[in-house]
Amino acid sequence: MPANRLAPLVDREALGGAYFLLTFRHPETAREARPGQFVMIKAGVCAEPPLRRPFSVLSVDAAGETFTLFVKAIGRGSQALCAMAPGDVAQCLGPLGRPFTPPPGGEEAFLVAGGYGIAPFRFLGEVLEREGRTARLFYGGRTAADLPLLDRLGGTGLTLVPATEDGSLGQRGRVTVPLEAHLDGATRPVRLYACGPDAMMHAVARIAAARGLTAEVSLDPWMGCGIGTCLACVVRVQGADEPRWKYRCACTEGPVFDSARVVWPGEDDSRARRAGGGAEEGRR
Amino acid sequence: MNLAVEIAGIRFKNPLIAASGTFGYGVEYEGVLDLSLLGGIVSKGLYMEPRDGAPTPRIVETPSGLLNAIGLQGVGIRAFVRDVLPRLAKHDTALLVNVCGDTVDEYAEVSRVCDGAPGIAGLEVNISCPNVKKGGMAFGGDPRLTHEVVAAVRKATRLPVIPKLSPNVGDVTVFARAAEEAGADALSCINTLLGLAIDVETRRPKLGFGTGGLSGPAIRPVAVRMAWQVARAVKIPVIGIGGIAGAPDALEFLIAGCRAVQIGTANFVDPGIYERVLADLRAYLERHGTDDVNAVVGTLEYPGLPRPCDSGGRE
Repeated sequence: MPANRLAPLVDREALGGAYFLLTFRHPETAREARPGQFVMIKAGVCAEPPLRRPFSVLSVDAAGETFTLFVKAIGRGSQALCAMAPGDVAQCLGPLGRPFTPPPGGEEAFLVAGGYGIAPFRFLGEVLEREGRTARLFYGGRTAADLPLLDRLGGTGLTLVPATEDGSLGQRGRVTVPLEAHLDGATRPVRLYACGPDAMMHAVARIAAARGLTAEVSLDPWMGCGIGTCLACVVRVQGADEPRWKYRCACTEGPVFDSARVVWPGEDDSRARRAGGGAEEGRR
Repeated sequence: MNLAVEIAGIRFKNPLIAASGTFGYGVEYEGVLDLSLLGGIVSKGLYMEPRDGAPTPRIVETPSGLLNAIGLQGVGIRAFVRDVLPRLAKHDTALLVNVCGDTVDEYAEVSRVCDGAPGIAGLEVNISCPNVKKGGMAFGGDPRLTHEVVAAVRKATRLPVIPKLSPNVGDVTVFARAAEEAGADALSCINTLLGLAIDVETRRPKLGFGTGGLSGPAIRPVAVRMAWQVARAVKIPVIGIGGIAGAPDALEFLIAGCRAVQIGTANFVDPGIYERVLADLRAYLERHGTDDVNAVVGTLEYPGLPRPCDSGGRE
């Protein structure tokens, strides 16, 4: 059950650029959060900016007291959070949302992160490592500066495969290039997990569909409440037995969705045709 | 100390009501806060049938406010009565249903369904949603249509009827009187202000629907002014809405003549707001030497009190 309470900032670390690691005391989130879940959080109790912001939980402490967020200071809400000093309080509601589904036994997890989308995967990697599972992380960005968390992934058991579009770190090109190469060479069944820009997640969804794989994507639309009442963060999702898509709240029915169920931007017509024709493609 | 207020025969244990569209169907907050803390809850707007609502993006933050075009996405009144009402019954709070319709007949039909359902204390008639192509603000922007819808709902139900007025009119008192004459038992004042936010890079509206409704502290002075005008123009009770984020904000509306208030956008900012506002409200009453919140209602001292805008006609 999510808890709504003030959460003091206990640690703040600047990672360079606009990136920060912020650790808050919020026992409910520390104890109950699962990889892929998020909190709605806002610096202080001031009027501006009005809304809390959703952030994926990056990690929780073993004592069940604190959790850490990976925050890029890019807007009013995130800048206010990153300007907090230890001891300052934030308003926090969490943990929220549907977490990632762990891969079934025998399947290997391939995590695909685009830049800032790394946030939920540190946590997922840690949990998989604890269960003795292996996972590979495909971590892409435009340049090396977009992969600020790369050296902070120790203890996660993740095999790292970085890629940058300018070639400044790892393989040159989009992250889907090494992803496809590893999929070609995989000896075990693979389950995909993706978080990053919409275009990247859509690309991973297409790769999964073409190869008959399951992919979970963590979507990040604008959120108002985090709890399913404002209906701002809806995404078009079509259930297995549904004749057409429905708007579903990313905050309560997501943010993690089966990529095959998501109706991606620009996909409306093809999806409608498939549904109308009763094709089997949507049912997996 | 008495915080209870009575409006149109409905007893609210305190004057704080969750505003339609900002509190879902109430049950979403089970476990996050004690719903019995609330004086009342107004449901998300409900039509006869489920609705998809507006295309995304649906909200954008503005200075001290929120511009939204959700477009009345909803489950429909029958699913609400079947699935949600039984869950709400265990909470000690007054439940109002926000009634929507594309046509006058649909408003009446939704109202009739509510009339036969247990646990509904009253109906708020949504004649002011700016984010739908039909119905909504169209009814709240023409006094004859306001009268027609309210009269039709009045005829369809024995429940208290509370039209929610639009601020997007020239003289709100004309609409308040039209609703009163049509048999309204109380009035909710106000819905969101019609607004437009533009993405200057793409030169397109920031919201998928185009225009949207502005809410939050940014609109509070407008809302207080309109609620005050309406309270002076009609004999029926008024429920004030608009940018309430703390006890002083709620008190502005009460002092302006409202019998109760609704909290809207602030629910998103802090679901724990009710506990805080109630504590601060009690402290205020104590400080002002009264033990009854009703003693504050309509106590505005306005030097040389001018009459509200003369209701000569519409814009």
